[in-house]
Order: sequence, then structure tokens, then C-alpha cells
Amino acid sequence: MAIKYTAKVIEHFKNPHNIGVIEDADAIATEGSPACGDEITVYLKIDKATDRIEDVKFQSYGCASNIATGSIITDLAKGKTLDEAEAITWKQAADELGGLPPVKMHCSVLAVDGLRSAIRKYKKDVKGVDYDSTLDVKTVTDELRHVLWPPVGVDIITLQMVKYIGIDQGAVTVEISVNPDDKFVDPTINEIIEHVSKIRGVKSVHVENV
Amino acid sequence: MIYLDNFRSTMVAPEVWEAMRTVAIEKYAVPAAFTQCGTEAAELIEGAQSRLAAAIGASQSEIVFTGSGTDAINVGLLGATRAAVIDKPEIVTSEIEHPATLAVYKELEKEGYKAHYVKVNSEGCYDLDELASTLNEHTAMVSLMGVNHMIGTIEPISRAGDLIAEASKRVGHKILYHVDFASALQTQRLDVNAVKADLVSFSSNKIHGPKGVGALYVRKGTKVMPITFGAESYSPLVPGTPNTMGIAGFDKAVELLYATFDKDVERMRSLVNRLESGIKERIPYILINGPEGEERAASHLCCSFLYIEGEAIMMFLNMDGIVVDTGSACAAATLKPNYILMAIGRNHEEAHGSIRFTLSRYNTEADVDTTLTKLIPIVERLRAQSTIKPPVQ
Repeated sequence: MAIKYTAKVIEHFKNPHNIGVIEDADAIATEGSPACGDEITVYLKIDKATDRIEDVKFQSYGCASNIATGSIITDLAKGKTLDEAEAITWKQAADELGGLPPVKMHCSVLAVDGLRSAIRKYKKDVKGVDYDSTLDVKTVTDELRHVLWPPVGVDIITLQMVKYIGIDQGAVTVEISVNPDDKFVDPTINEIIEHVSKIRGVKSVHVENV
Repeated sequence: MIYLDNFRSTMVAPEVWEAMRTVAIEKYAVPAAFTQCGTEAAELIEGAQSRLAAAIGASQSEIVFTGSGTDAINVGLLGATRAAVIDKPEIVTSEIEHPATLAVYKELEKEGYKAHYVKVNSEGCYDLDELASTLNEHTAMVSLMGVNHMIGTIEPISRAGDLIAEASKRVGHKILYHVDFASALQTQRLDVNAVKADLVSFSSNKIHGPKGVGALYVRKGTKVMPITFGAESYSPLVPGTPNTMGIAGFDKAVELLYATFDKDVERMRSLVNRLESGIKERIPYILINGPEGEERAASHLCCSFLYIEGEAIMMFLNMDGIVVDTGSACAAATLKPNYILMAIGRNHEEAHGSIRFTLSRYNTEADVDTTLTKLIPIVERLRAQSTIKPPVQ
């Protein structure tokens, strides 16, 4: 099957909107990591009186869909209130681009994670909103909804691939059930580790394919 | 279009297309006894066998045409390994082989063969000491490649052949030696006797022949069990109606390859040098993947552009009409960085920024200059957009 991008993805890749930095940003957040293949940094300028996003910019180390999703989520976020922008989903971002190949859906997740992180950082630092949830099975489950199974672009919780989540004094064990020969097992395990490690209080992450 | 992805596949040469057209619409019979057209078809195949055989120091009957390079690797590796009668059989290859070889080895592992994957150094050259120490009385097969398709390393297949021959004497049985020559044929000459190979696989579409044709050299006396079955038209190893049109095309491609071989190799080398020095002079923060100079195939250059990602570079070049390949995880169906770049010690980031330029005899100086002109602003632009930056000097 041909894997290709929509014309809108190509357009946003070629001429990304809101690319760059905001020197006096009110919040900056980076998500992903170069070792995992892509990374995005989101800069926010907030109107303090109205809580609206006055300006938003991003930088991207990544592929065409990473750049295009960064472009579209910053478009979607600009002018919105913090709460409105925080509610933007990766599905919405992908739909705005006319869809993404399933294997590239994780780029949309990363872009939305970048935006949300910047918003939450601002809310926490400036407005004193407490986002630090306790480390429990629900928090881990919620985070794993950001890990997509590449062939279909659907998260591993919805696909019921996660069989067990165990937490013992900061050590998290995630058991998944996938054909061990599947070519996507290793990148997915890396994604799980990357995501779960971000949760406050996590000291180690162990993923087992059972 | 400026096509710099010739290790993936090449343009069919116009003369090749003409030869195929003639066979397709005029000489379309298949080998059969006692008819003129059937005899002509048989002779066409024999002529093609003879030409390739003569070029590699073999005899006509030692060449069989297959459905592709992958097909040749399957027929040769599966067929000969399964035919070897050895207690607790082991098979040896390297960690940087073509996916076809690695897939066959995985299959053989499932059948109970113990596989050993020889490591390579930072330039992708086989560790021959490790190879030598791996060979023992259980070794049935060794498979190595002439030129690595990702990083262009010209592998020491002759020295490996000597080691395998010595080990064969020591252990008291013939250790079979298969060489994947698909990526090497365009720029390397081969003498199967000097290399001491028992099996060699080739692919037509890497040398301006058509897709859907490959060839396998099988040294006389080497036992190969067929892996497919059907009516035997000219070889029991490749049953069914032979692809005479494709074989005629491959034959013409081989003729053209050797007609101007040295001149073409020299020209491609000078074009690659021009590209490489242009990149080195005008783009900072790059790495050359694989060896430099004469140790690398003449038509090959693989660069990592640090701090940016290869799929984005590849797509921007594509928008400018330039076709290249990348070892980035983002562009891989598996989302994993290229295994060959990882095997030579590159990290994920270095693999992500890799671009492979592979030339053919049809590329020109203008192609190289245009590529450089387009590449420089693409790299600058992506670096300006990137979250990661070079260290401040």
C-alpha cells in the first residue's frame, strides 16, 4: 500500500506556520527526544488578563509529519484560551491535516503533548494549578493512551494490548501482549518507557511482552 | 528528475528496453524442442547465461536466471543449505547483510539451524578474525556481500573465501560460500574462482536491466534442492515458464555494463568525489557513513547531516526533483533507525540524519551540482527550525 501524506500535510511541511522561537515566552516545553526520532519545543505568549494564547511558536527535530503537526496545532491554539487549547486532541490535529498515515499518528500525539506541556507549565508556574497527580494505575493508564500502535494509529489501551500495570515504590512494570516477532514491538516498548518515565515519582520502567 | 537512488533500482537502459521489446512482441516463444522459435528461445537463454558466466569466470551451465535478486538469494541459500548434510548445522553471515539474506537466515533459524552474525568495524568491513573463529565442523553455509548497499563498503570477499576454503580443509567438509553480488555488480569485477564462491546472486535492476529478473551462479557440483516446483523448462531450480523478455533485458544490461565498465566506474567515482567534497566544503556538521575513497563503491555516498532528520531532507529534495534515500527511523516501515548504520556505531540521531546518494552511469556533473545547490538551503532551513543545535563554538 502506498504510504503518502495529504496535500495539506505537504503544504504545512513546506511552509510551516508559527515556526521559530518567542524570545520572551511565558512558557516553553519540549516533548520527545532526538534518540526516539523526533522532538518538538513549543513557546507560548499568554495574555495574562484573558488567559488567551497571544502567540505560539514551535521548533521541530523530526520528519515531515512532525513539522506539519507542529504547524497545525500552533494554528489551532493561537487565539484560544488556555483551557480551550489544552482540550485540543491529537485526533483533531490529524483530522485538520486531512489525516496522517497510521504509522505517523504518533507525531500528532507528540505535537499535542508539546502544546499541553507548555500550557500546563504556565498554569502551574503562574496560576498555581497543581498538575502533579499521584503515581497510580490510572495515571499510567492515561499516559499510555498517548502510545499508539503504529500499524493502525490507535492507542495501546484502546487496543487492549496492555495486560498489567504494576507500581512498587516508583518502579513501574507494564506488561503488554504482542507477537514478539512483530517489527513494531521494540519501538513501541521504547515509547512506553519514554512516556511512563515522564510521570512524576517514576523511578524505573520495566516493560515485558508476555 | 535527478535520480540518485540507484542502489534501490535503476532506469532500464534504452537499448535494454529495445531488446526486451523485440522478445516480447517478435521472439516470444519459450524454450521447446524441435521448433525454430523454441530453439531460438533456448539459445537466447543460453547466450545470456554464457555472457554473464564469461564475465565472472564461470561456465554457461553454472548460471540460472531467477525471478529477482531476492529470489536468487532464496534459491541459493535455502536450497544449498538444506541440501548440506551436517550434524547440528550452523550458518554464518554478517549483521549488515541485505534484508533478503537476513530474512532467509531467520527462516533457517526456525528450521533449527544455528545462525552466527559476524560483526563489522566502524567502516562496515567484516571482522574476518571473528569469521575465521566462527567456522567449525558444524558450519554449513557462509553468506557475505560484495558491496554493502547502505554504506557502500567494498567487503573483503576474496580473503573471506580463503578463510572459508582453509576451514573447509580443516573440518573435512565443504563449507558452502554464497556471495550476494547484487549491489556490487555495477562497480566491482568478479572472478568466482578467485573469490572461491560456490553461489553468487545477482539482480538485473541494479544495472539498468528490468525488474523481475535475477541470476544465481551455482558452482558445478554444488547440491541445491529446489524450493519451488513445477514444469522444468531449462533448470530444475527455477521451474515454470522462463521470463525470456526479462532475461534478454538482463543480458543486454550485462553487455552494456562491461562495454564501458572501467570508464563508467571512473566517471561515477569522480562525480561522487565532487558531491562529497562539495558537501564537506559547504555544509558543516556532517558525517560520512562507511569508508572514504577507494574502499567504498565508486557510485556511493552516505552522509549524516547532524541535528536534522533524513525524511524531511529526502522529501524537500524530492520536491526539487531529486531522489535519494534515508536511513532515518521516521522513513522506515518499522520506525527503527537503519540497522547497518547502528552496526557501524552510529547513534540514533546520526542514523536519523542520514541520506544515501547512489549514482549511475547516466548521472552527470550537472546533476551533482544541482543537488548541491538544492541541498545546502534545505539543510540550513531544517537546522534553523530544529530543536537541537550544534554546540556553541
